[in-house]
Amino acid sequence: MTVTARIFPFASLALPIRSRVPSLSRAQLAGLLLLLPATGFLLAFFVVSALTLFAYSVLTQRADGVVALPLTLSHFQHFFSTSLYTHVLFSTLRMAAVTAALAALLGYPVAMVMVRGNAMVVRIMTIIVIAPLIVSVVVRTYGWQLLLANTRTGVVNWILLSLGIIHQPIRILYTETAVIIGSLHVFFPMMVLPLASALAKINPQLEDAARTLGAPSWRVFWRVSLPLSLPGLAVGFTLVFSLTASSYVTPAILGGTSAQMLGNLIEQQIAAVYDWPFGATVAFVLVATVLAINMASTWFLERRNRA
Amino acid sequence: MNGRSVVGSAMLYTVTVAMLLFIAAPLLVTMSLSVSDTQFVSFPPKGFTLAWYGKVLHDPDVRSALSFSLWLAASATAGAFLLGLPAAFALVRFPVPGGAAIRSLLLSPLIFPVLVTGLALLQLFSILGWGSVPVNLLIAHILVTSPYVVRTVTASLLLADVTLEEAARTLGASRWRTFRRVTLPQIAPGVAAGGLFAFMVSFDNYPVSMWLADAQNDPMPMLIYRKATSVFDPSVATISTLLIGLAIVVVLLLDRLVGLRRAMGM
Repeated sequence: MTVTARIFPFASLALPIRSRVPSLSRAQLAGLLLLLPATGFLLAFFVVSALTLFAYSVLTQRADGVVALPLTLSHFQHFFSTSLYTHVLFSTLRMAAVTAALAALLGYPVAMVMVRGNAMVVRIMTIIVIAPLIVSVVVRTYGWQLLLANTRTGVVNWILLSLGIIHQPIRILYTETAVIIGSLHVFFPMMVLPLASALAKINPQLEDAARTLGAPSWRVFWRVSLPLSLPGLAVGFTLVFSLTASSYVTPAILGGTSAQMLGNLIEQQIAAVYDWPFGATVAFVLVATVLAINMASTWFLERRNRA
Repeated sequence: MNGRSVVGSAMLYTVTVAMLLFIAAPLLVTMSLSVSDTQFVSFPPKGFTLAWYGKVLHDPDVRSALSFSLWLAASATAGAFLLGLPAAFALVRFPVPGGAAIRSLLLSPLIFPVLVTGLALLQLFSILGWGSVPVNLLIAHILVTSPYVVRTVTASLLLADVTLEEAARTLGASRWRTFRRVTLPQIAPGVAAGGLFAFMVSFDNYPVSMWLADAQNDPMPMLIYRKATSVFDPSVATISTLLIGLAIVVVLLLDRLVGLRRAMGM
């Protein structure tokens, strides 16, 4: 083996094309071989299983439970023509959008302090922001169940009653508000981290220049920081929206029966009704929603990069 | 600083402090109620007792769920590394045709609703007639954790110094020896952080396990979910507090290893 071949792939870019071609295909082969286990695993258990699931959404379930031909769109028709199901779809979209918008609104100040603060402040803030991500969503949602409980011993109700702001416990648990609060808590870091990355990339001299020229700070934010951090906002919004729309635990514990999401509907159809084709249909609607927002965000980012 | 920007930064810091309190609140409330000397969980906590800790630590259901979750998370992390480490190395260091597309495929479970991933696997396993619950759970958990390994190892490899590897190869070291003696020491903190993160992703997972687990193979989050909706004494808060403690240890470790932001891949 020649030296040039052995030090490939790192030095080969400087070599003349002719001697590069054979070693290139060797390295390509080695690379593909290293990728084979991961790619094979993913194709078998992720791609094939997802496609099989989606195939069920256009197949028919016989009386004995076997799912087979003929092909049909009746499950989708059933989904979109039943007000109960479209209601769950729209409340899923609404709760996901409100959660993502609130996360953006509250995430900007936190991200700005995280970018501008001194090293110690930043480190402590990063720990506080990220720590909950490593706590199971079940544990965090249980904490919110304690906080939002509808009785006098719920934390929020107890505080409001003690302060004399209310005289009867108010109903927070088992409402959309509770689900939005819980989702905001669970996915807030997914907004703050991309926002902080985007804000850190802005040249501070641009903001200084705007300030020197007399712009008040809200205007500096509106005309300089916000437009330049839009890529981070797009990533954060997409993440929070997709993750909230795909939740199961938070709406199940905090929403009860009055604030259900698509995930809860899927679980019911499979675990209680045993209607696999319809469960697969709802799953398809959920995946299509998540893919749509991801594609819109990618399109937005690419168009911006070209401009 | 003029008057208006003082108001501006006061607002900035007020919102920030409020949000940090918002983030900590459910964890602090859970921790405070775990030592409450009452029969039913209620706020404010009364008295102080460690009795719930004694009860929880001797509860056979909690112990078996904990050991099952630890086994599952450790095995899933090992599996995710077996798949993810070579894949990340190939994507960064080899001129793989279609590398970008393969990378997107390997990371795609991250944007796919986890609940649907679990459901699709349940369906696949039942079509194939695979009845071993631990094996099925392990496959599912490898699937959801491997993207995290690919992401952190890729990021670490991009930061590692390629010229050192070239030097080792020029001096006659084999590719494997170069990887073991030159590349691996450089990416070790990132790899450890990725492993720790993958471990916690599996340990915390509910939406995949809920489809595949059964009474004999009962991961910790499943147990807590059941108890959170059916048990009303402070023991649930106690189990939760133990898990919050574990998470805090992991967070501090991640911070020491590579810094939290990098461990998260953001």
